[in-house]
Amino acid sequence: MHKIAEVEVQHDIMVANRKLARKNQRLFDKNHVFSVDVVGAIGSGKTSLIEALIDAMNYKIGVIAGDVISKYDAGRFENHDVPVVGLNTGKECHLDAHLVEHALHDLPLDEIDILFIENVGNLICPVDFDLGSHMRMVVISVTEGDDTVEKHPLIFQDADLVVINKVDLADAVGADSDKMVNDVKEINPDVQVIKTSLKTGTGFDEVTLAIDGFINDY
Amino acid sequence: MHELSMAQAIVDTVLDAAKKNNAEEIVEVTIEIGMLTMLNPEQLTFLLDVLAEGTLLENAKIIIEDVPVEINCRNCQYTGLANTDDSDHYLAIVLCPQCGGRDVETLTGKECAVKKIKIEKSDEDA
Ligand SMILES: Nc1nc2c(ncn2[C@@H]2O[C@H](COP(=O)(O)OP(=O)(O)OP(=O)(O)O)[C@@H](O)[C@H]2O)c(=O)[nH]1
Ligand SMILES: [Mg+2]
Repeated sequence: MHKIAEVEVQHDIMVANRKLARKNQRLFDKNHVFSVDVVGAIGSGKTSLIEALIDAMNYKIGVIAGDVISKYDAGRFENHDVPVVGLNTGKECHLDAHLVEHALHDLPLDEIDILFIENVGNLICPVDFDLGSHMRMVVISVTEGDDTVEKHPLIFQDADLVVINKVDLADAVGADSDKMVNDVKEINPDVQVIKTSLKTGTGFDEVTLAIDGFINDY
Repeated sequence: MHELSMAQAIVDTVLDAAKKNNAEEIVEVTIEIGMLTMLNPEQLTFLLDVLAEGTLLENAKIIIEDVPVEINCRNCQYTGLANTDDSDHYLAIVLCPQCGGRDVETLTGKECAVKKIKIEKSDEDA
């Protein structure tokens, strides 16, 4: 004889990730590490910005470089003499809290003040996955087109700081960077939006000040 | 595109629950997907079908329930269902339906959960 039974499962896969993210955050807090999630479009300047921050900021910095193939960006960070762990996501389009947890085992957390976690260049998938960081910085550039923000609203909704990079190229690509700033403000009224060019240095000091502000509030 | 890893996690969760309950076959699976997740239900169903092959899940009916977005507005204290700008849920921007503000906390809409399963098992283990 067979019978049909109903079983309540109530297992949320997103919740499992969020639980791990909170575990990561407890580990950061225990080691007094301020952790910054860096997400953004492909090629928008995430690695360039973190490299400049490593050189400019008076903190001991560590980096997790997440990418489909991570060795390229990881190698760039290593040239700045900071502890780096590369995370290969393979076919995956985002980092998750579990991958980050693994990377944390390979970092000297007690020697790090700020940990930058560079996510895979993607404005869609990282939205779903909290990593446990204290702040999330979104880096886009004018070369993606000035409708990028409108097309990918959700990533801006939870952002703590938004950088619109490569403003030196705005005229060349016919992009209106002020429109991009306004679009972000529509979605996330209180977030600070900074226009930068890592080529000319425009706006870069403001980014360091903004991150300093978050660290001081922490 | 992280539907594949999500689908795999769903299949693992379902098979685990089925095993714990001595299922001989899984008849039905109910999955909840929040309207704010970046998951495409059609892609997810397709991948679940592929991954289910050769498992207890093979012949199960898969039901996907959309979970609407509920918010708490920090501006006017409204709590309840959100307006979404667009019927296409990828582009749904959350807005307070009462004051139009965007400074809202999302309470629901980010789920990707196996809610329940219906299984067939032999009477003896009841
Ligand atoms: N003109 C100009 N080029 C820039 C600027 N910032 C970065 N670049 C260039 O843009 C290219 C991509 O920069 P990366 O820092 O590698 O960008 P990324 O976001 O880390 O790229 P992925 O990790 O591959 O997604 C490099 O050739 C940089 O030199 C800028 O402000 N202006
Ligand atoms: Mg990079």
